[in-house]
Amino acid sequence: MTTRETRPGSTGGADVPGPLHGGPDDDYTPEQLAAISREDLDRLGAAYDGVQILHVDPGPEPGSAVERRAVRQVGLTFALAGLAAFAFIVIYVGSGWFLPDWHWEITEGGWSALFTPMLGALMGLSLVLVGVGLVLYTKKLLPHETAVQDKHDGSHFDRVTTGATLVGGLHNSGLARRKLITRSLVFMGGGLGLMLIMPLGGLIRNPNTGDPLGTTNWGPGVRLVRDDGTPIRPGDQQPGSLETVFPAVPGGNRQADAATMLIRLRPEQVAVNRPREGQDDFGYGDYVAYSKICTHAGCPVSLYEQETSRILCPCHQSQFDVTQGAKPVFGPATRALPELPITVDDEGYFVARDDYPEAVGPTYWNRERI
Amino acid sequence: MSTTNPQSDAQPDGGSPRVRWSRRPADGTPAAAARARRRSKHRRRVVNVAGLMAALVLTGALYSALSPAYATNEGSGSESAAEAAGRELYERSCISCHGENLEGVPTRGPSLVGVGEAAVYFQVHTGRMPLVRQEADAPDKPAVFSDEEIDQLMAYVQANGGGPTLPSGDLRDGDLAQGGELFRLNCASCHNFVGQGGALSSGKAAPSLEGSSALEIYTAMLTGPENMPVFGDNQLTPDEKRAIINYVQTIDNQADPGGAGVGRMGPVAEGLVIWVVGIGVLLFGIFWMGSKA
Amino acid sequence: MARTATAPGVPTTLLGKAALEVDDRLIVAGPLRRTLNKVFPDHWSFLLGEIALYAFVVLLLSGTYLTFFFDASMREVVYEGSYAPLRGVEMSAAYDSALQLSFDVRGGLFMRQIHHWAALLFVAAIVVHLLRIFFTGAFRRPRESNWLIGVVMLVLALLMGVTGYSLPDDLLSGTGLRIISAILLSVPVIGTWAHWAVFNGDFVGENIIGRFYIVHVLLIPAILLALIAVHLLVLVKQKHTQFPGPGRTEHNVVGNRLFPAFAGKATGLFFIVFGVCAALGGLVQINPVWLWGPYNPAQVSSASQPDWYIGFLDGSTRIFPAWDINLPGDYTIPALFWPTVVVAGAMFTVLALYPMIERKLTGDTASHHLLQRPRDVPVRTSLGVMALTFYVWLMIAGGNDVIADKFDISLNAMTWVGRIGVIILPPIAYVLTYRMCLGLQQHDREVLEHGIETGVIRRLPHGEFIEVHQPLGEVDAHGHGQLAYGGAPVPKKMNQVGGARRAIRGFFSPIEEPAQVELEQRREEHGPAAAESSRELTTSGRPQEGGRPQEPRD
Repeated sequence: MTTRETRPGSTGGADVPGPLHGGPDDDYTPEQLAAISREDLDRLGAAYDGVQILHVDPGPEPGSAVERRAVRQVGLTFALAGLAAFAFIVIYVGSGWFLPDWHWEITEGGWSALFTPMLGALMGLSLVLVGVGLVLYTKKLLPHETAVQDKHDGSHFDRVTTGATLVGGLHNSGLARRKLITRSLVFMGGGLGLMLIMPLGGLIRNPNTGDPLGTTNWGPGVRLVRDDGTPIRPGDQQPGSLETVFPAVPGGNRQADAATMLIRLRPEQVAVNRPREGQDDFGYGDYVAYSKICTHAGCPVSLYEQETSRILCPCHQSQFDVTQGAKPVFGPATRALPELPITVDDEGYFVARDDYPEAVGPTYWNRERI
Repeated sequence: MSTTNPQSDAQPDGGSPRVRWSRRPADGTPAAAARARRRSKHRRRVVNVAGLMAALVLTGALYSALSPAYATNEGSGSESAAEAAGRELYERSCISCHGENLEGVPTRGPSLVGVGEAAVYFQVHTGRMPLVRQEADAPDKPAVFSDEEIDQLMAYVQANGGGPTLPSGDLRDGDLAQGGELFRLNCASCHNFVGQGGALSSGKAAPSLEGSSALEIYTAMLTGPENMPVFGDNQLTPDEKRAIINYVQTIDNQADPGGAGVGRMGPVAEGLVIWVVGIGVLLFGIFWMGSKA
Repeated sequence: MARTATAPGVPTTLLGKAALEVDDRLIVAGPLRRTLNKVFPDHWSFLLGEIALYAFVVLLLSGTYLTFFFDASMREVVYEGSYAPLRGVEMSAAYDSALQLSFDVRGGLFMRQIHHWAALLFVAAIVVHLLRIFFTGAFRRPRESNWLIGVVMLVLALLMGVTGYSLPDDLLSGTGLRIISAILLSVPVIGTWAHWAVFNGDFVGENIIGRFYIVHVLLIPAILLALIAVHLLVLVKQKHTQFPGPGRTEHNVVGNRLFPAFAGKATGLFFIVFGVCAALGGLVQINPVWLWGPYNPAQVSSASQPDWYIGFLDGSTRIFPAWDINLPGDYTIPALFWPTVVVAGAMFTVLALYPMIERKLTGDTASHHLLQRPRDVPVRTSLGVMALTFYVWLMIAGGNDVIADKFDISLNAMTWVGRIGVIILPPIAYVLTYRMCLGLQQHDREVLEHGIETGVIRRLPHGEFIEVHQPLGEVDAHGHGQLAYGGAPVPKKMNQVGGARRAIRGFFSPIEEPAQVELEQRREEHGPAAAESSRELTTSGRPQEGGRPQEPRD
């Protein structure tokens, strides 16, 4: 290193390294190193890293048939990879320009439906070929060496000296003696830690305010309407039918807990219908209305089998019997689907007589209490 | 909007504002759709009353015609040729389960009074009837009867039991997006998003809709075969049924733009693919890398 | 600095000079040499973790691309894009942007599918990697910390998957979100509070997609990246484990140096993993959200399943009996709590603590760098297979409706098959695996003692038939081998010890002339080795154990 500066702090490389600098540079002068061949330098460095090269199986003889074949293989692989990459570019750029449009049309099964598969096939091919080429290169053209590296256990010397430094620092800090500082540190640490996570309190909201889990938008006189907002008369449904209905309130058909199944039972079902205790009058004629939200995990049930009166939940296969107050008869659900009390208003449309008598949807810890 | 509108051939919207099938019109204010529905409902009610009267008259007439003919089946001169042929087929293939007068046989077969020709068309045309043996549900199979014979059976059952009739016109003439919304709300729960069908309780199953004809889907909705709920015309209007059919068949026929559809089965098939193909290919790859050259 | 070009050690080439300038400033030559000289053992199963690593890289790349187009908002919009069957339908902005990405961004569908396939591959590769670590005992001291990090990363990968596939807000993922909500609610005492904290209110609210988004693209990836870095640093620091074999000890690593052989293969593997993801991403359709439709709490489809790695929880939920626990004071522990929170919690806790448990049970606290063959540790292997059977069975139960539908089996029967199987299959798997391990162990010892079965039957002069065995080493007076079992594979076939004709080289097709090889072989057969082997074949290896009276030979 050279410097023309002579001001203090600008000594450049003219300073002399300390007595502990050394290392392998002391053992091997540049002249010595210059006299060693590259292979031996490689092995020397490896030896310093605890690596010994046991055995080298040289690659194929330069110019031999084996080498030429391998070179051809590797070269061909890389060339094909490049070819596939360029084909990808042509298809990506050219679609909609000099090739057919890539915008997919549902009525078409031609180019636009093949666009993504072609991109995938070409990119996949290209990348896999690059990988295969690299592996072929490594396996067929590089020398195979077997090396062994020593594994060192922890050094006792390192442990003792590091320990001395750590303990020395701790000792000098005097924390062991200065109890007031230790205690105030603990106090400060606890307070600081809590303070920093406090803003997460913004996430906490009281789930019991207004009992949102136990109530829905249904209420006395709320009409039962279809998804498109039209009300329903008792004559609209055939026996053995099911319609998903919503409360006639703004956004009622987007409420997660309001969806209700309005079921018109067949005469055979009416004959054996056993509503839950105290809910005998919840239905209207041969109509009954049950919550569509599974009491197990909240999926919409409604796989309604009108002959067997079963309602199946597609998520976990709970089955409810409509003629037994929608009580669970199979699967993991434990509670019956809540029944909505319904009647018909002056204009002859279905209305709810009240909200559900219990919480709809999945069970939770304090469901019975609120 | 792009110049090539694939919807244009399915749903011509010549400049008129398209009806939005949003999920919000339940907002108290009755939407235009609701008014339209009420109007058409009015018309329907008149038709229904007329139909009911006609059915009553017909039933009465039939009853008087048939009850004496109960013992002697021949000689009911009011029967058309098709009905007579249908009766013959019925007595050969259906009577043991559905009874002599369509009244059904307990534990064997339901009553056919009121099911109409639509139900006969669906059941016989899809090969579900005649039933080979009593099972959890009737599987579809190649139809036993020819189209002509099915027509005769339909005529017989319609004449003697009454009920929904076959629709006419283009059964796919409906709004595609509306059909999708209705399909997901009413049908997908059993028949799956893409009409794949699905398992029901205790060995029953909702069949796949792939390759089903429009008339089969229509009559199934109209009559609610077996465990399927009935979707009468006051619940799903004929227009809405046509929209659903349009959606089902469009989805069924459309290509998969993202490559092989693997049955459009979702995560189960995808999981199999990643383990068999993905992990399989890569394991093969690292075996090959580890092997000696 | 010396000015002459001939000064020793001073680079003359441009590259060399540049390297010198860099090293002058950063002093990297030493650490770089140590890295390049690092020895990696060569075994295919050590590349499994790399597959997961490279899948993660693909996920980062493709995921970053997706964020340019995705709008994680639950604002209601009306779809006006080019997919006709949904045009005019009201949906969330998230679903709308997922559709835009699929149909109106050039190559967007391709990138979406790459991302999803890479995610499935990521978790699958982690699981396979974990199985390799488990069954070979690579988690033993000093690698418990890395095992723990690995298990944490597996859990994070699952969370990553769940938050990821919920983002498009389609009908399938929305159903999943509904179940997640129910699971949160099912937690005793704090369930409703936790739900309100996560969803910012009742289900579904307007925040959950946005929150999942930031968790999916920032929080978990950042933690995962940091953990991957620690995982690799610990691996480098502790050096890789290796299978027992000639010259391999607890205190060395035998294999290839990082540069160039290992680096070449590893880079090649990266491209192959990327290529497989790309090929799947284009050729096999995954999660076609346009077919599922937008999420609506009143809609559902039959055969709604989560991605495969969550399938085991879906399965446990499906087969769990309807057992609510009613506590005094009208409190309830919902049935849903057990098969989801408890099963998942217990499975991952046991998995994470397994190294400590095994250390406690076996009392083995020594450091191990040599791997074990699964057969040599029958209890661990059997426990592993038992746990795996449990897991796979739950996963199958998670698809029981699809199985019931496709194979025409009763759904209720499938549920009962699941319930009974989950109880009786794992113990059966344990017993079978245990017997198999013992059998394999025994066979190894037998071969070491008596030699390889040659298939050559001889008839002794007094009429007895014996099979000639080829001993693997020196034999004692009774013809018994002197070799001890060293934990390495024992050759079981003659051609593994050169007893058969040398295999023609080449992976797919021969790269040698078969005739040439035959000639070579014949030439060798006249050498001393051939004479040696023929002598061994004819004179020893006769089974003479078992206290059988020795027949005098003639």
